[in-house]
Amino acid sequence: MDISTQIILFSVDLFALFAVYLVIDIGLNIQQGVTGIPNFGILFAVAGGAYITAGLSTRLAIIILGIQTNLNPISDNVSVLQLVNPILHAQPILAVSLFVLFLVIGGAAGAIMGLIASAPAVRLREDYLAITLLAFGEILNVIGAGYTPLVGGPPGVDLPDVLAWAGQYRFYAGSLVLLIVAIAIYVLAGHIIKTPFGRTLRAIRDNEIVARALGKNITRYRTSSIMIGSLFCGIAGSLWALYSGAITPTLARFDWTFLPWLMILIGGMGSNRGTLVGTAIVVTLNKLITYFKYAFVGIVPFNIIWLNYLLLGVMTILILIYRPEGIVRETLPTTKRTTGNNVSKPG
Amino acid sequence: MYLVPFSTIIGWLTYSAFLSLMALGITLLYRTTKVANFAHASFVTIGAYVTYTLTVIFAANPYAGVPVAFVVVGIVGLAVFYSVLEPLRRRNSPTVMLMIATLSLDVLLLGIINIHADYLTNTYSVPSRNILLSGSDFTFLAQPGILFIALGTLAVCTVAIYVLLNFTTLGIALRASMENPQLAEAIGINVSMMLAISWFIGGGLAGIAGALIPLWTEVNPSIGTILLASMFCASIVGGLEQIYGAILGGLLLGLVDVVGTAELASFLGPWVAFYEPVIPLVVLSATLILAPKGLAGIGLRRRR
Repeated sequence: MDISTQIILFSVDLFALFAVYLVIDIGLNIQQGVTGIPNFGILFAVAGGAYITAGLSTRLAIIILGIQTNLNPISDNVSVLQLVNPILHAQPILAVSLFVLFLVIGGAAGAIMGLIASAPAVRLREDYLAITLLAFGEILNVIGAGYTPLVGGPPGVDLPDVLAWAGQYRFYAGSLVLLIVAIAIYVLAGHIIKTPFGRTLRAIRDNEIVARALGKNITRYRTSSIMIGSLFCGIAGSLWALYSGAITPTLARFDWTFLPWLMILIGGMGSNRGTLVGTAIVVTLNKLITYFKYAFVGIVPFNIIWLNYLLLGVMTILILIYRPEGIVRETLPTTKRTTGNNVSKPG
Repeated sequence: MYLVPFSTIIGWLTYSAFLSLMALGITLLYRTTKVANFAHASFVTIGAYVTYTLTVIFAANPYAGVPVAFVVVGIVGLAVFYSVLEPLRRRNSPTVMLMIATLSLDVLLLGIINIHADYLTNTYSVPSRNILLSGSDFTFLAQPGILFIALGTLAVCTVAIYVLLNFTTLGIALRASMENPQLAEAIGINVSMMLAISWFIGGGLAGIAGALIPLWTEVNPSIGTILLASMFCASIVGGLEQIYGAILGGLLLGLVDVVGTAELASFLGPWVAFYEPVIPLVVLSATLILAPKGLAGIGLRRRR
């Protein structure tokens, strides 16, 4: 493989990873950055989206495509997909509709996980809450490994290839589709932050008592914030499962909780644009280290992947100490001055 | 009358001793620094690898790792405090930032532990994953020695902390820094130094617990991370506001975890054992809903 092909493959894969993380970070930013809910358990929503999409996708594909088979969609997963994938290859519109359906399922799964997580989140102080949510993050891995009908236990399952129609360009199409979804969500989130709803979330973050005095139902807003954030995380989980084509119940805390936190921290919490910048920086860095892993084999007496842990750990701490506000400062939307009759006269 | 099998009770006591030791450190650090120390996971793992490294390089008895791990992890605690938490504290960083800091410290230390483990394998040609040293443990009254040593260590540590906090000037200064840092500072106590000492002790306790783990169960670089939820659960169930609550929390969580799982499995079938990691979370949620300040907090609330 010549160098230019390698660079193209590297960047195409990078874009897909960037898209997945951007969606997660937007979800986390809405919770932590905008509302001030320290969700250290976003793995819960991401895994929810990924595992439930993986579990349902083959089952639904059989029903929707009308395939008659006695095979079990989970335990005979590979054989069933051999029936499903050729149809998806031949019918792009059907495949894209399935893709959208799976994203909706992932989002719904994420939102449900958010609803579960919000039970402690509206009651507890931030440190207790962070501990509880961090602990909750792992629960789906336990269930996924123990309850085989979900994702087939430890070996995992494959998903229908909803991008099969792209044929030889499938690899590129995957990244492109993921980027389109991510950018759409980015624009949507930017809009949500600017709406009165977003302002209320920020008001709750900055001064809960004042928000309460203004008649805002804090519990309801916090729950909505977690559910919207988790919905995005669920979609991201779904995107990741569909892009990688296979899922095992081993999504790790480092990849799906620590890295997103680092990204929004570097970018600047509360800022949608900052989220974009932070995601780009960390995803690129992480991918570069993983990519050049093999260049170091034999030179250092350990697996180079651990340098990734060292580097990212040190980086986070340095940012916390020297630039806790991140690269992009949060810009508050300005309100247009209302003139004329709207202003009520005092007294 | 139905009796729980003796071996289950042995398993419970050993597990609880470990949990209590770990939770003791977490509660202590929470009381002094007001931060949930997620790096406790790596502290424990470092302790375990200290023991293993000693047995590999010096062919030492595994129990020799305990004092060494206390000092090594204590120093790690000090380093963590002075390099990360003290600068953040001076900046008046919000709690969330402190928690991200301990989370990143955990990631950083996990990287170092794995590098050390790889180094051990490459240099000494010994396994560095799935380590179990219980083969070299002694037996006493037909029970593994670790049972007595773990319970004994817990008792010694508890008494030592009790004596330190109640009968020494240093302990009184420490308690003053926990209760009211500003006032303590005003009467001339070096609060920063007191916090550093608490990090040495808290880290040391995690080190002791970790040093004993290879004699009890298989050690991997991820052992601390696996136990993290249970440690925090024990700490919260006992009550983060009360240091000795950690011991109560450890005993209770161990009871529910070991005895509860064994009993449920014997009634419902062996599949129950697969979901054992969920138990701490159930206990945690139930505690936070019923007694948000932990079990030790129930009495406290009435008194106030």
